[in-house]
This record gives sequence, structure tokens and C-alpha cells, in this order.
Amino acid sequence: MMQWLAFLFFGSLAILSALGVVLFSNVVYVILSLLSTLVMVAGVFFVAGAELVGALQLLIYAVAIAVFYILVLTAVPWEKALKKDSHYRVEGVLTFPIVLAFYLEIILVFLLGVSVSPKGEIREYIKSLGNTEVVGSVLFSKYFFAFELVSLVLLVGMIGAVIIGRKEEKTYEDGSP
Amino acid sequence: MKMVPLEAYLILSIILFGLGVFGMIVRRNLVTILMSAELALNAVNIAFVGADAYLGLADGQIFALFIIALAAVEAAVGLGIIVAIFRLRKVESSDELTDMRG
Repeated sequence: MMQWLAFLFFGSLAILSALGVVLFSNVVYVILSLLSTLVMVAGVFFVAGAELVGALQLLIYAVAIAVFYILVLTAVPWEKALKKDSHYRVEGVLTFPIVLAFYLEIILVFLLGVSVSPKGEIREYIKSLGNTEVVGSVLFSKYFFAFELVSLVLLVGMIGAVIIGRKEEKTYEDGSP
Repeated sequence: MKMVPLEAYLILSIILFGLGVFGMIVRRNLVTILMSAELALNAVNIAFVGADAYLGLADGQIFALFIIALAAVEAAVGLGIIVAIFRLRKVESSDELTDMRG
């Protein structure tokens, strides 16, 4: 029953945040809605008993990729997407409760997810590794080749991103075609 | 203890995937299109993990981990392409990219 309530909570908030991703017009609001959606999806993973995937979702996906999006978005001069001539002083003060709310959201998802997780294995993480041990043993025996292929794809993607995103000598319009 | 049924995970996955596809079709900002793709990938992750909890296996969680890694690659390459498009063409909307139209 507790698990069902937690699933409804996480699922409804994930759908609300996903509506925010689709409907907001400001790109920064879209990124914040995506961050909220990813945290709530991590809560759904905790409810399903997948503690390792939920923790990796919180760490890698929710934090690292959202920060990556915001970093790229602020490094590029989007004249239309971001307002140019305003100082954001008052808005900067107003962002503090929003940041605090996101932090509380992450803490809430982690605590609630751990408490309703079916086997509660992350509480006895030191004693018996549980879900993480199972996932690791299957990952490094049955799916080891796929794991190595994913690492190769990561390497190729990194090289491709560096090559695509580097500064060109001349723009496309200067060329002969 | 009452378990969450498989249908609940699948319904949530369908709704999130539909919203992601809706965002990819309807929105015109390139970064928003990329983030809608992330939303659809997360919906697939929910379906994997939900089926895993229903069947009592660990294989779906491994595929969810692979999807997380590939989504990181997709974000890096996609943002690189968007930055290159912006630098070369000074556009940010998918409506203005009409060079390949026949």
C-alpha cells in the first residue's frame, strides 16, 4: 500500500514535470522541468526495487546531464533564447528557494524511495550487496561484450562531439558551394 | 505487501513517451527537441525497470544502464550539432533549417 502511494506520487509528479518540458517556452524552465522529471523517474526506479539504476539516474542523469545542458546553453550566445540586457540581480536572489526546493526534492525522493523499496537492500548495503551485486554479476558475465561496446560508443561520441563542436576557420557561406 | 502491478509502469511509460514524442514534433526550439528525446528515453527506462520488477530479473536494469550511457552520448553529440548549426547559420529553430528540402 505504501509502495503504491509512493508510485502514484512519483508518477503523477513525473507527468506534471513532463508537461512542463513540453509546454514551457523559456529554455531554462524546460531544463529545470526536465531535471524534476528525471529525479521523479529515479523515484519510480526506487519503488521498483532497482536501487543501482535509481542512484545512477540521480547522480549521472539528473545532475550531470542537466548541468551539462545549462553549461552549453550559457556558453552559446543565444540572442533569442536568453534575454540580453537585464541584470538578473533580483532574479538571482529569487533562485535560491528554487535551488533549495530541488535539493529537498532529491533528498525526499531518496529517503522515500529507500523506505518503500521492496527488499530494502540499500539499508543493508554493507552487509549484503543485494541488487547491486546481482546487477554487477549479470553485467560482467552475460552482457560483458555489450558493456565494452558501450564504452567504445562513449569514446566515439566524445571524439565526434569535439570534432563537431570545434571552431571552424571559415563559415559555410564563405565556401565555394 | 501489495506490489505495484506491471500495468501501472507501462501506463506511466506510455504517457511519458507520448509527451516526449509530442514535444519532438510540436516544439521548434532545437534544445527543447533534444530534451524531449531524453524524456522518451526515460519512458523506455521505466518500462524496462517495471518489467524487471514484475519478472524478478536483473537484465532490464542493465539495459536501463546502457540507455543512460547512450543518452549521455546523444546529449553530447546533439548539443555539439546544435552549437555548430547555431555558429554556421545563426538559427535556433527547426523551421529555419530548410536546406535539405527538395
